[in-house]
Amino acid sequence: MFESVDDAREKLAAQSYVCDRKLATVVFLATRLDKPILAEGPAGVGKTELAKSLAASLDRSLIRLQCYEGLDEAKALYEWEYGKQLLYTQVLREKIGEVLGPTKDLREAAEALREREDVFFSENFLVERPILQAIRSEKPPVLLLDEIDRADEEFEAFLLEFLSDYQVSIPEIGTIVAEHKPIIILTSNRTRELSEALKRRCLHLQIGYPSAEVELEIVRLKAPGVGEALAQQLVATIQEIRKLELRKSPSIGETIDWAQSLVVLGGPHLTKELIEETISVIIKYDRDAEKVLAHLRGTGQRTALEQRNNEQHEAGREIWSRHHHKTKPEPGDKYGSLQG
Amino acid sequence: MDTVINDFVQVLRDHRVRVSPAESIDSMRALEQVGLGERQVVRDTLRATLIKNLDDIETFDRLFDLYFGLQETTEKPPIRPHIHDHDHGGAPGQLELGEEAKGEEQENDHSHEENEPVDLRRFFGEDSTVPSQSMHQDPDRMRLSLLSQQLILNRKQGPLNKALERLTHQLKMRRVRGMFNPGRLTPHSGGQELPLDISAVELDNLVDHLHEMEVDEDLIRQIEANADDILAGLPELIERMLERQKKLENKEPESLDPKQSALRKLTEFSPAEQREMEGAVRRLARQIHGAKTRRLKQDRTGRISIPHTLRNNVRYEGIPFNPVLRRHREHKPRLVLLCDISLSTRNLAKFWLHLVYQMQNLFSKVRTFVFVAEVAEVTQLFEEQPMRRAVETIFDGKIIDADVNSDFGLAAERFRNEYLPTINHRTTVVILGDGRNNGKDPNTRALEEITEHAKQTIWITPEPKWGWNLGSCDMPLYESICDRVEVVRTVEGLADVAEELVKVRV
Repeated sequence: MFESVDDAREKLAAQSYVCDRKLATVVFLATRLDKPILAEGPAGVGKTELAKSLAASLDRSLIRLQCYEGLDEAKALYEWEYGKQLLYTQVLREKIGEVLGPTKDLREAAEALREREDVFFSENFLVERPILQAIRSEKPPVLLLDEIDRADEEFEAFLLEFLSDYQVSIPEIGTIVAEHKPIIILTSNRTRELSEALKRRCLHLQIGYPSAEVELEIVRLKAPGVGEALAQQLVATIQEIRKLELRKSPSIGETIDWAQSLVVLGGPHLTKELIEETISVIIKYDRDAEKVLAHLRGTGQRTALEQRNNEQHEAGREIWSRHHHKTKPEPGDKYGSLQG
Repeated sequence: MDTVINDFVQVLRDHRVRVSPAESIDSMRALEQVGLGERQVVRDTLRATLIKNLDDIETFDRLFDLYFGLQETTEKPPIRPHIHDHDHGGAPGQLELGEEAKGEEQENDHSHEENEPVDLRRFFGEDSTVPSQSMHQDPDRMRLSLLSQQLILNRKQGPLNKALERLTHQLKMRRVRGMFNPGRLTPHSGGQELPLDISAVELDNLVDHLHEMEVDEDLIRQIEANADDILAGLPELIERMLERQKKLENKEPESLDPKQSALRKLTEFSPAEQREMEGAVRRLARQIHGAKTRRLKQDRTGRISIPHTLRNNVRYEGIPFNPVLRRHREHKPRLVLLCDISLSTRNLAKFWLHLVYQMQNLFSKVRTFVFVAEVAEVTQLFEEQPMRRAVETIFDGKIIDADVNSDFGLAAERFRNEYLPTINHRTTVVILGDGRNNGKDPNTRALEEITEHAKQTIWITPEPKWGWNLGSCDMPLYESICDRVEVVRTVEGLADVAEELVKVRV
């Protein structure tokens, strides 16, 4: 368990998960208050990674449930193993005959069978799915409900009991309560609005694109082969690109990919040619790529880039505080201060 | 501390941020864990526990800064609706200026320097009541917020009657005077739209809340000592507030056409109304289901299909190891929304777009188009941008020329030519528009073709039926083609449509 907000931050950093204090605060609170975290933000800013790092830093196992349209409790919570049940009835046929032997009529036989019904609806025949697994686990795990917005509204409603009381009800068995409360992280890409009821039960965490400072640190950690100069240029370029109005801005994941591919290609500096060759790593749409290249050509000079880079390094903290809750750049900022 | 948090929550609620009691309890429990040592941590904690909607974060940040001190008031204020209904407020407004003469004068000078005619008019013209209101009240708010900041961040339990009394006395005087200001006495026409953070009622609440708290002698002394500083800082504060106000005013240079102000109710949504609308759309969503598939499909749930089960289990000598369940699956609703954003419906168009934005958030398969004479798809835009900005972008005319006369016929034609493949027998087409064709060819053929491809077509118009015969309105023609036509004028109206649809549902 974390001692304090800073402790949480340090321990996450030890798992090479760099975060700001806002995120650390929420994580710390979640562990203290036993409340689920609802992490929202664009794709690739490390929502899923947070769960992994959190599990690692607390030395707990990670149970992951990927949500999708049509996901239901049979897949998420439990399922009866029909085959096994049938097999048992077949194998135990004789025994059942014995039990029912002394009974006089059908009614009595049915009565006798009913008394032993729980044999066939015991936990023995229950296939545990992730949520049940998380509840029954000896050591409380970290449960990741990934991309909850992809699941149907019904599933959301189904989760409510679990999220608020850490228990689930199985009609045939009863209510199962978690002895050790798992840490739950829900992630959402906001493809649709989640219900108020769900949100109310969670601590809300908005993860946006990182500041230049944080991103630089991430690159250093995740792509150790990258030289300092290259890393700085790279991050500055990425930050610049995020200011453009793109269909999909490059996320941290793409920054890391890019850094790694640049290590393979082995240039000490980021040249225009290199950017053009590797643009597909960070930009996934043709039209976006054109826009970015046009922009970078327009602003052109590497010197300008470097200058910008230095400025940004200094102003990193300030930029962060200004932008940290916005996922999208202001259109007004579109051409930034790079015009020089 | 509890009092302060409760009070803050109350302020949030006054700004129509929905905070449940459970959440405010959470926030207190959370604060116990993190302590009050660090401002930023307190802020993050409150935000994580109280604010669950991204749209509310901005409001929260603003209120937090206001409520817990002034150090960081660099936040961007929200766009306030323009206020039209204070035609006679000029004189009393000017009288009020006396009290804070120093600050006012500075302000006027400032605007001279800026040399912006719009602003000058605001000081001498009819509009002056509003800024003067805000000038008086906002600094007061700030003074109060400084107190409350002391309360919470210095861990001074319990509050301060004596020190407050002096300040609040002054305050109440001002508020009383404010009541004689005709500008304030128009709650029916404009009061609803008044920016909330300059409303006297709320200020009242804040004062009352602070009154209710217990007093700590130390704190009073501290505040008394600081009072001079606070007062000394006032002119600067006022200046800042005014600058902010100015920016706001510049943003919305809307003309005051009487018809428009009559329709204003439709276009300016308060967050509460937005929520109401969201609820209505949700209901609508539940209603517009996709068709049930005719054929049964295998599924995890459903009825046991005897034939399939037997066939599947022949290999187990007919013992049903694997029961096969089947059910009718339901298609997800697919919506295609067509929005008229022409000049004649400019105000309504805003309403449409808000509605559409909500719908797109709620449905998974929604494609949105806007049209005047051209047609363009804006689905992408809505996905990527916050509502306000998306709507602004559309009206900027960057996407299609929004300033020509609407031409439903041509738009339908274009849509048919370009986008007809997006419609199939599962799609519900919703058209939002007034059907005013400005004398152009109604081109019912194109619309017919669209409806033939779609599962159903619903036309939502703001004009009541009796208005259809006035001017060049082609609604009667279109009505016969669409499956249904709904007249929706307000948010509640929309909810009614949803209800209605539920009843008719097959």
